[in-house]
Order: sequence, then structure tokens, then C-alpha cells
Amino acid sequence: MSASRNKTITTILLTAIGIVTAFVMVFPIVWLLMSSFKDSTELFAYPLHFLPAHFSLDSYKGVIESGFFQYVKNSLFLAVVGTVITLVISAMCGYALAIYRHEISYTNKVFAVFLLGTLIPGEILTISQFTVVSEIGLYNNIWGCILPVVTTTTGIFMYRQHFMTIPLSLAESARLDGAHEFKIFTQIMMPLASSVTVSLTIFSFVWRWNDYILPLMVLSDQDKFTIQIAIKSYIGTMGINWNAILASSILSILPIVIIFIFLQKYITGGLAATGVKG
Amino acid sequence: MGKRRKSFSHTKSFWMFVAPALLLFFVFFILPLFLSIGFSFTNYDGWKTMEFVGLENYKKLLVSGEFYKTLARTFGYAIFSLPFKVIIPLLIAALVTSRYCKGITAIRTITYLPVLISALVVGITINWMFGQEYGLINFIIQSLGGKPMEWSLNPFLATFVISFASNWASTGFYMIMYIGGIKNISPELYEAASVDGAKSYQAFFRVTLPMLSPTIFIVLLLSTVNLLKEYALVQGITSGGPGTSTTYIVQYMFDQGFTQYRYGYASAIGVVVSLIFIVIAAIQFKMTKGGEVD
Repeated sequence: MSASRNKTITTILLTAIGIVTAFVMVFPIVWLLMSSFKDSTELFAYPLHFLPAHFSLDSYKGVIESGFFQYVKNSLFLAVVGTVITLVISAMCGYALAIYRHEISYTNKVFAVFLLGTLIPGEILTISQFTVVSEIGLYNNIWGCILPVVTTTTGIFMYRQHFMTIPLSLAESARLDGAHEFKIFTQIMMPLASSVTVSLTIFSFVWRWNDYILPLMVLSDQDKFTIQIAIKSYIGTMGINWNAILASSILSILPIVIIFIFLQKYITGGLAATGVKG
Repeated sequence: MGKRRKSFSHTKSFWMFVAPALLLFFVFFILPLFLSIGFSFTNYDGWKTMEFVGLENYKKLLVSGEFYKTLARTFGYAIFSLPFKVIIPLLIAALVTSRYCKGITAIRTITYLPVLISALVVGITINWMFGQEYGLINFIIQSLGGKPMEWSLNPFLATFVISFASNWASTGFYMIMYIGGIKNISPELYEAASVDGAKSYQAFFRVTLPMLSPTIFIVLLLSTVNLLKEYALVQGITSGGPGTSTTYIVQYMFDQGFTQYRYGYASAIGVVVSLIFIVIAAIQFKMTKGGEVD
């Protein structure tokens, strides 16, 4: 009797703590969202109210009229193209590192080279990365934000680990049937790695969508800005344009939230902890 | 003979598969790495001047009060934030793996959401709540009869807001790591503890914590690295102010390089800071017996 009552009390207590935790985590976003629907007079008037007194879309109109869709287009290009390249080169590389591990003695040494990439944070190399980007003529070009970041040790590692678990006899028998190495890779092996592909697609898209430092340094024309850089540009030297920042921040989170809702099980599954590095 | 030809063709296939990633990695990682080291011995201004100056940059750097101050400030920020980074996700992970807590999927999902938001927007979101005038937190403080806090004028409070934002954004990530660790603990250990009459909180301290120590250690190292390189988040909150009181080492390096056009000097900063990160990575590599590779 008392044991079951204790259990009920524990359940109520822990669930309450859980609800408070979730509330604290989600509230900043909800507050940002509510604020984005307030007009500029209400935004800066006490007392503050949770719900907007006059539901206003002025902030959104403002950013859209100032060319926000161009920034969305640029961000989408960066995220989609960057992700496709990341998937192709990571899959090929991770596959080769795993599947030729018996035939080729130095696969681990090649992998160790990529592990160097995890040793030093990309931020530290930004200045000389920028020099390389400029020297090959990619300054003020979105490709200058894509090519330096598409190689990710995380992606190569994920594919390598996955292909390690696939029996080598599968490739051997396809070879005996006369299949080419590339055909074995694309038609037999890649479908077996779809879980890795889905996870890496999600993470890579989010990384690229959120990229900040390199686009900030590389892109100089306003019509080439990505969303992140556009948002930063609203924090001008003449003061902060909060209406624009609130609306554009919400718009920048929107695709992420949509991805998150639909692909949640892929994100908070075991692979979430792999997504450590962009 | 036939065997040799076969292994040759495998060599060719191997390199063709690896080539695209390897090429991009060399051009945009290995090359910049050597360029950084090279630049650090020059007075490169990012434009025309590039003369060899030997150890000049390092000599200047190692006697620069500003460099040490920035480094100390960065470490101060990291040390202040670390306990929260390590402990809060652990507690939430323990909560959402408890069989007594309802709605754990929803709590997990919501806690993870900020992880996916860009560092800049994370900064902006938290900054909006901590606005000095018209910010929600100050409004609440005033409604309760308190005095509004100077979140952006007081160096300590500004650091607190940055740390809060950083924690908000990373809690879900480390929570997932802890959940993975907790799920790997054998249930038999808890059964044994319960047979010995241990209460749940005792089981947490005597079973969960000791068994989780490798995970805790990794979270500690990862958070340290991420805190030391904090940059974009700060740009959404204080941009390094008030004054330079929240200017951390990466921003200092960028200021020297891109604003002051001292690429050579900035590269020297990069090299010195890299050594710190390499030491941390080496420790991690050693403790995880090869970074969980193989």
C-alpha cells in the first residue's frame, strides 16, 4: 500500500520536473515566436504580454520585402548542394576504407589522415582557408562556402563503421558475377547503408543551413548572403533592427523544426551523438 | 600473376573512391594548416605584404598582455560554464530514463530541439529574453519588485547570459550521449543494488555515476573544446562587449586577422591555440583508446 503510494508520488514528482524542464527548454523559442507577431510599438512597451495585443505580420512583411527569399535561396543552395557532395564523397570514401581493408594494407593510415580533421577546430584555420578560397577565385562565391566544409570526418566515419559490418563475401560474389567495383558500390552496397544516408543528410543539411563563419568572411555582396549572414546584418552599427531579427530568426528556424518533427526518430536516436562536427 | 593484377585493380578502385574526399581535405584542411604555420612566421597582411619575420609574431604574442587576458577570459568562461554543461544534461538524462517519469519522448525531443538551431540564432533568442530594456527577464524582475539587471553592461552578467545560451543549446546533445551511456549499464547492477536495499537516489550515486564515468569524461572534454572556441553565439548576444569583456580567443584571432589585417600575427595565435586543442584531443584519444575507432 505505502510502496505503491510512494511510487505514485515519485511518478508525479519526476513527471512534474520533466514538464518544467521541457517548458524551460522550449519557452525561449515560443517567446521569440510570440514577439515576432508584435508590431514595433508593442515590442517596446511595458507591460509585456505573452500574446500579441494586435496580431501583426509587419515584421515578416518587412524582411520579405527587403529580399529575404533571395537569402533563403542562397541558404538552400548551400545546404542542398553541400549535403549532396558530402553524401557522395563520404559514402565513397567510407566504403573504400571499409571494403578494401584486407586487400589494401594502408587503409587505416589513410583514415588516420582524415582523423587529423577532428584534432583542430575549423575555426582556427578559417583565416588560411579564406586565403585558399580567395586564391582559387572563390571569394564572394557561394562555392567558396561549400567546398571547404563538405569533407567531414564524421560522415566518412559513419559510412566506414557501417560498411565494416557488411560481410565482404557480398562484394566477392558480385565480383565473381562480373560486376564492376563502382556498380557494386552504387547498386548493392549503398542501399544497405540507407540509415547512415538518412542521418547524415539531416545533420549535413542542418550544419550547412546554420553555417556562419565562412559565409561571413567569403560573401560580400548582399544578394549572395545566406540567411545567417542576413540576420547578422540586421545587427547593424546603427542599432539593432529587432523586428527584422525576430522574424528572420523564426523563418530560419522553421525548416529545422519541420525536419525535426518529421524525422525525429532519426535525430534523437543513437546517431544524434555522432553529429558532433560540421 | 593473376592475383597481383587483381590487387592492383583494387588499389586503383580504392584510390578512385577515396580521391574526391582526400583532394578536398588536402586543399581545404591540410593546405590551410601548413599555410597557417607558414603565415605565422611572416608579416602577411592578407593583401600584398608578406615578408619572413622569423619568430617575431610569437615573441610579440608571448609578451602581449592582451593575448593572455583574452586567453584567461576564455578559460574563465569555460570553467564557469563547465559544471552546468556536464551536470544538467546528466540529470535530465537520468530523468528521461527513469521508469517513473511520464512523457519521456516529448521531454527528450523538446530538450534536443535547440541543438539544431544555429549558434547565432541561439544567441539572439536568449539575448531577446535578457534584454536590458523590454526584456522578459527584467520585466519579471521588476514585476516582482526588483531592480532591472544590467545584462549587457555588466561584464559578469553578460558572461552569464552567454553561458546560459550555450547551455541551452548544448544540453540536448549531451543528454543524448548520457542516455546512450545509461542504456549500456547492465540492469543486473540495479537489481543487485535493489537487493542490497538501495533507494533510487542511492542507486544513482553508486551505480549510474560510476558506470557513466567514461561518458562524463567525454562530455567534459567535448564541452571544454566547444566552450574554448565559442564565437558565433557571442555574436548574437554581445559581439564581445561590453568593451572586450566577452571577447574570446577565436574572436580575438579574427579581429587581429580580418579587422586589423595582421594575418601573420593572427596565424601565430592560431598555432598557439591549436596546441591547446591538440593536447585535449590527445587526452581524449588516449582515454577512449583511439577515439572509438575500430
